Amino acid sequence: MKILVFIKHVADTEARILISSDKKTLEIENKYTMSFFDEFAVEEALRIKEKLKEGQVVVCTFGNKKAIEALRTAVAMGADSAFLIDNTDMENDDPMVNAKVLSGFAKREGFDLILCGRQAIDDENACLGPMIAEFLDIPHVSTITKLEIIEIKKILVESEIEGGTALTEVQLPALLTVQKGLNEPRVPLITGVMKAMKTAVPVVDPSEFGIIKNELNNESRTYVLSYEPPSGRPPVKIVEGEAADIKVKNLIELLRNEARAI
Amino acid sequence: MAKDIYVFVECKDGTIRKASLELLSKARELTEKTFSNVYAVAVGFGMNEIAEDLKFFADKVIIVDNQDLKDYRWDTYRGVLEYIIKKYNPFMVFGVATATGKDLFPRLAARLNTAIIADAIGIEYEGEEIKVRKPFFGGKILSWMAFRHGIAPVITFRPNSFAIEKRQTGGEIVEETVEIKKDPRLTTLKLNKGSNHKVDLQEADFIICGGRGMKGSEHFRILEEIAYIMNGRVGASRAVVDSKWREYDDQVGKSGKTVAPKVYIGCGISGALHHTMGMDTSKTIVAINKDPNAPIFQYADYGIVDDLFAILPALKEELKKTKEEN
Ligand SMILES: Cc1cc2nc3c(=O)[nH]c(=O)nc-3n(C[C@H](O)[C@H](O)[C@H](O)COP(=O)(O)OP(=O)(O)OC[C@H]3O[C@@H](n4cnc5c(N)ncnc54)[C@H](O)[C@@H]3O)c2cc1C
Repeated sequence: MKILVFIKHVADTEARILISSDKKTLEIENKYTMSFFDEFAVEEALRIKEKLKEGQVVVCTFGNKKAIEALRTAVAMGADSAFLIDNTDMENDDPMVNAKVLSGFAKREGFDLILCGRQAIDDENACLGPMIAEFLDIPHVSTITKLEIIEIKKILVESEIEGGTALTEVQLPALLTVQKGLNEPRVPLITGVMKAMKTAVPVVDPSEFGIIKNELNNESRTYVLSYEPPSGRPPVKIVEGEAADIKVKNLIELLRNEARAI
Repeated sequence: MAKDIYVFVECKDGTIRKASLELLSKARELTEKTFSNVYAVAVGFGMNEIAEDLKFFADKVIIVDNQDLKDYRWDTYRGVLEYIIKKYNPFMVFGVATATGKDLFPRLAARLNTAIIADAIGIEYEGEEIKVRKPFFGGKILSWMAFRHGIAPVITFRPNSFAIEKRQTGGEIVEETVEIKKDPRLTTLKLNKGSNHKVDLQEADFIICGGRGMKGSEHFRILEEIAYIMNGRVGASRAVVDSKWREYDDQVGKSGKTVAPKVYIGCGISGALHHTMGMDTSKTIVAINKDPNAPIFQYADYGIVDDLFAILPALKEELKKTKEEN
């Protein structure tokens, strides 16, 4: 079974982010990591391969050179190969562009199953998975929490839906987005890390699978007008009082008459 | 050209979701400026009552009522919306960024080859230009985004983004019949809608969140009682979920849910960035923590520095009184 895992290299929670003076671009401190939910996707791909005792796990991202780090993390975990699709000179604010590029790669590479995180933690779009599935004309299931291979072309997945869970039988090829709880991602062993450092990560240009950058850029449909910091809250008001119940009374008073929140 | 806005309405247990009513209300405000109409599009089975209720939130209510649409699936719902959008040619399409919305709209947008902005929290017209407010990096950065081109662009919004307003006169109901096609590659074997929560965490306008300072699952009972009084929900930090005191469904934060209620109360939560990323766009934030230096106070509007076990019983009584007075 050939499994593709699409991952994203994102700014770490602690990274400082500055807005340029023209408000058009962001300067992000050099602290990056693999997006949180993508780790579950890599782990699940490895587990499927281990269980079937055959297969191939290919990780890929559409990003800049720095994103090789995230790919290496996946290789250190056990992925067989990794590809970086270079996004230099490409529009990046439109999920549709990203989805077209990644589905182009998937078509060239071939696959039985595609896994990705349920959403990236920087933009929280949750768009890529369903979009790629649409472009490839394959079924998808979002936010899966359990996966079982029934036969070579058929799997069983449990997924989170509005207000509960669903159990679905899916014919392969298919795309699944993964939710926390699906598994516990492994921590790479030192031998894995050594191997990852030596693994060559090919940099692929979208033109290699028939995508013409300029054309796709012209098709890009959304863009960022400006970035701003959030307005920020005034400093906290610590509610005083001689005893707990007085503090609470004072708090309720403020919530009612000042914040008009209750 | 008419600038009609179409709102995809989500229903739950035979009632319209609050978040959909918010979008209809916002759509009305926007269409009034352009003398255009708001269309509510409701898809499901047994939709008569819902259609009647929707009349007071839209100029036109499009209903697609079919047994095969009883439970949501992206393939059937995508087919229906594709049909409606192609037939009516809307100026914009709004949906809610819930589990259903996140599953459906990206796939629909790709199908229609149109533009999408997902997980937005606001929208404005400035002349001809549509500006969409979208947070990045867990609310550390806000942006204004715009569309370049694309017919009937789709925008999904987080629940609790807009106020709800009912109108005086009712709109018109139109019933559409659409052929339902299921994707044979996907078989639903079982649906388990076992959630016993009346209100969805992301939709709740009151959330009381417990952290490690709650000391054990048994102490969450008082939070449940307070949430019940306020018709809200109990949330939890990851430390609490990892300790199995609460379900993952309750987790607020980077690896859990992003919430923006009218009132968020954090009890015994330190305020780690991973947590605050998921709640810092809440309207009013209250923190209860015995440590005056807990980072959560940097995100709060009001704080109480005290033992939460002394505060919570009093808080419950006072909130109950407030509710009874109203
Ligand atoms: C990749 C990653 C993702 C994460 N995602 C999330 C996420 O989605 N959501 C999330 O919440 N966390 C997340 N975390 C964890 C996060 O970093 C914190 O560890 C966690 O939020 C801490 O939970 P807490 O505030 O309940 O516990 P603590 O940090 O232990 O804080 C407990 C607080 O309770 C106070 N307290 C104790 N006793 C009392 C008392 N009697 N009365 C009043 N106050 C009291 C203490 O002063 C302290 O401030 C994530 C971490 C990582 C690495």
